Amino acid sequence: MPAGPRLTGRAARGATGVNTGQIISGVGHLALIGWALIGGVFQSAPPPFEVVQATAISEEEFAAIMDRQSAPDAVADVDTPEPPAPGEAAPSLSSEADTPPEAAQPDASAIPPPDPAPDVSQITPPAPAEVEDAPPVMEVPQEDTAVMVPEVSPRPQPRPAPRVAPEAVARPEPDVRVDDVASPEVTPDEGAESAEEPSEATAPEEAATEIVTEAEEPAQAAPSASVRPRSRPARPAATAEAEPEETPQPETTTEPETPATDQSAVNDALAAALGQAQQSSQAPSGPPLTGGEKDALRVAVQRCWNVGSLSSEALRTTVVVGVQMAESGRPEIGSIRMLSASGGGDAAAKQAFEAARRAIIRCGNDGFDLPVEKYDHWRDIEMTFNPENMRIK
Amino acid sequence: MMRYMMSLLAALMLWALPAIAQNSGPLRIEITEGVIEPMPYAVPDFVGESATATEMGRNLSRVIASDLSGTGLFREIPAQAHISRITSFESPVQYADWRAVKAQALITGAVSVDGSGRLVVKFRIYDVFAGQELGNGLQFVGTQDGWRRIAHKVADQVYARITGEGGYFDSRVVYVAESGPKDQRAKRLAIMDYDGANVQYLTDSSSLVLAPRFSPSGDRVLYTSYETGFPRIYVLDVASVGRRVLPTMDGTMSFAPRFAPDGRTVVYSLTQGGNTDLYRMDIGSGASTRLTNAPSIETAPSYSPDGRQIVFESDRSGTPQLYIMAAGGGEARRISFGQGRYGTPVWSPRGDLIAFTKQSKGRFHIGVMRTDGSEERLLTASFLDEGPTWAPNGRVIMFTRETQGAQGQARLYSVDISGRNLKQVQTNGGASDPSWGPLQN
Repeated sequence: MPAGPRLTGRAARGATGVNTGQIISGVGHLALIGWALIGGVFQSAPPPFEVVQATAISEEEFAAIMDRQSAPDAVADVDTPEPPAPGEAAPSLSSEADTPPEAAQPDASAIPPPDPAPDVSQITPPAPAEVEDAPPVMEVPQEDTAVMVPEVSPRPQPRPAPRVAPEAVARPEPDVRVDDVASPEVTPDEGAESAEEPSEATAPEEAATEIVTEAEEPAQAAPSASVRPRSRPARPAATAEAEPEETPQPETTTEPETPATDQSAVNDALAAALGQAQQSSQAPSGPPLTGGEKDALRVAVQRCWNVGSLSSEALRTTVVVGVQMAESGRPEIGSIRMLSASGGGDAAAKQAFEAARRAIIRCGNDGFDLPVEKYDHWRDIEMTFNPENMRIK
Repeated sequence: MMRYMMSLLAALMLWALPAIAQNSGPLRIEITEGVIEPMPYAVPDFVGESATATEMGRNLSRVIASDLSGTGLFREIPAQAHISRITSFESPVQYADWRAVKAQALITGAVSVDGSGRLVVKFRIYDVFAGQELGNGLQFVGTQDGWRRIAHKVADQVYARITGEGGYFDSRVVYVAESGPKDQRAKRLAIMDYDGANVQYLTDSSSLVLAPRFSPSGDRVLYTSYETGFPRIYVLDVASVGRRVLPTMDGTMSFAPRFAPDGRTVVYSLTQGGNTDLYRMDIGSGASTRLTNAPSIETAPSYSPDGRQIVFESDRSGTPQLYIMAAGGGEARRISFGQGRYGTPVWSPRGDLIAFTKQSKGRFHIGVMRTDGSEERLLTASFLDEGPTWAPNGRVIMFTRETQGAQGQARLYSVDISGRNLKQVQTNGGASDPSWGPLQN
């Protein structure tokens, strides 16, 4: 086998085909270059003519202009400064400048002594204000009582609500029997061990004959207080079947078949849970504030919580402030008190509390937007003012 | 199956027990976000008991308002907006009128002149929205010429009662007053109130003076002078303007002095044989102790408030950086690791922060960092900011800012450590190298 590189068949074909391709390519490029040179591709268009306004002048005027532009006459005699006399000695430099200086000092007597420190003493507190902030109550003049206006305006009668139709149409045959309590249809199950009494499905009415708009709804449409959980029912001494007595069930409802032991265990657990929750007789009734309502209160207070003037230590102090609220949503100013403080000393806690108190009073001046029907839930509020996010970083 | 369902229900009820019990207590909310804005306040003219006192009362209230509003923490409600007029110091305050103009704090006062010609200034501070007085009223008695000091002291009290930290208005600043063109600038030591009033010159401009530093009690000033052609450290008594040069070795240059908190020791830089190290000197005996011994340049030392440590500048790592060592010398630890060059560190009077000058990317900054080097914050940025000094309460920093160009001039500026309230301190002409003194007694 001969040594050296071997061309594969494809490479060998390529080597022979290159000559023909190079000839065609060379001819083509020569034609393109020739066309570009002869055809004037690289020749740019001649620039446009510049038009300059010229004015014809006479020989005298030209001579006058040339006279003004002629160079000034040169002055041959120039005063040159005399060189310094060679005899003057240069000032001697000495590095022995360590002797005590005798620099001119400002006259001490010219500087007035600093102002003496003033004496400090406490002054007696002022007399309590005799003027109340409340606006004066204007007495109603008796003689000016308007006689044309009735003392009590008649209560406007509610207008009859528009009806859906001038006349009630015949109601279609209902799928279920109208009843106050919804109950599913019961059909006998062939596989069941105990036979159930078949009954018809019932449901309350889904529509009214009158349209009542939102504006016409009574303000107290929603229940002001939810039903308080009932106390633990008395445990039967010995029952074979537990039948709920509190909620009347329609006849068609089936009776639970839960064994008595399971039911009693659940009752025990429920009673334990609810019993502890009801220890306080002052427990608020009704639904608690929603997260949105709490957020609204928090945003309202933090809008007035100005920590810009607090010290660094006060900005490290978290205070818990208690406040009692009036039903109008305004804080009772006298009830605002510091419940606890952490993170700083007494002085810092005092400043932090005062800033928190200002926030509550300022933004509560017009009353916080709190639901009146839940007043029991926000009669007493504990606000924790945590300035961690407000520190200088 | 039913048994499991019931058990699960019972477990859920037990789990929900705390939530049920929660409803029985007060409503609890947590406030974590607030606002940072100046507190609006009103300071009507102090009531004067005579024509002279009335004029003085007006001046006092203006200086107090200038002090408080100048901090950036307070905003004055102008007198034109007032509804109530304070005509008697003892009259009850109409809180509703001040609440109506959104004033959160009210300062009232009265001025009189006693039989010996001394000025008597009484004042009270009220929390308008709480409807009660903040603390007890106070009374200052002083000379009539010292009325500005009395006004500063009233403002200090207001500041302390509202913010919870000490004020800094009744304090003075020593600095280098500059005049003349940039290439032929005359410099002399001057002292002034913190707000630029009552300027007094301590030296003439016959020689170059640098870097004055107040003593902890404010009665003396250390500074560097080139009177002899070499930098030497002098100590000057502020009251008598008498001075003396601190002893040093021949053939050395000493500069960058600063008092220890005890007022009896001075730490400074000394250059000998081309090497600069830190030394400590007892002013009374003149005995010096060497604190560092490195071929690099160690300078700009500053004591911690307890006197146990020294922060200084060194280029031992190749670029100027900040280091902390024990007051008696020894191993130093580096605390600055950011990009750029750090210099002129100064320990805060509170001890929690170190202010410094930083040069980075062609600009100069005044910044602060924790003493371990963490939480570095740059407060300013300009063509040339340098030489920070702390207010007595550690809340404000004063420094030198020099503008660019041949007409550039050095001025004093101050900035809150939060980076807010950057403003120029009013001085007559150029000023540099400030050193903030302590609160006056």
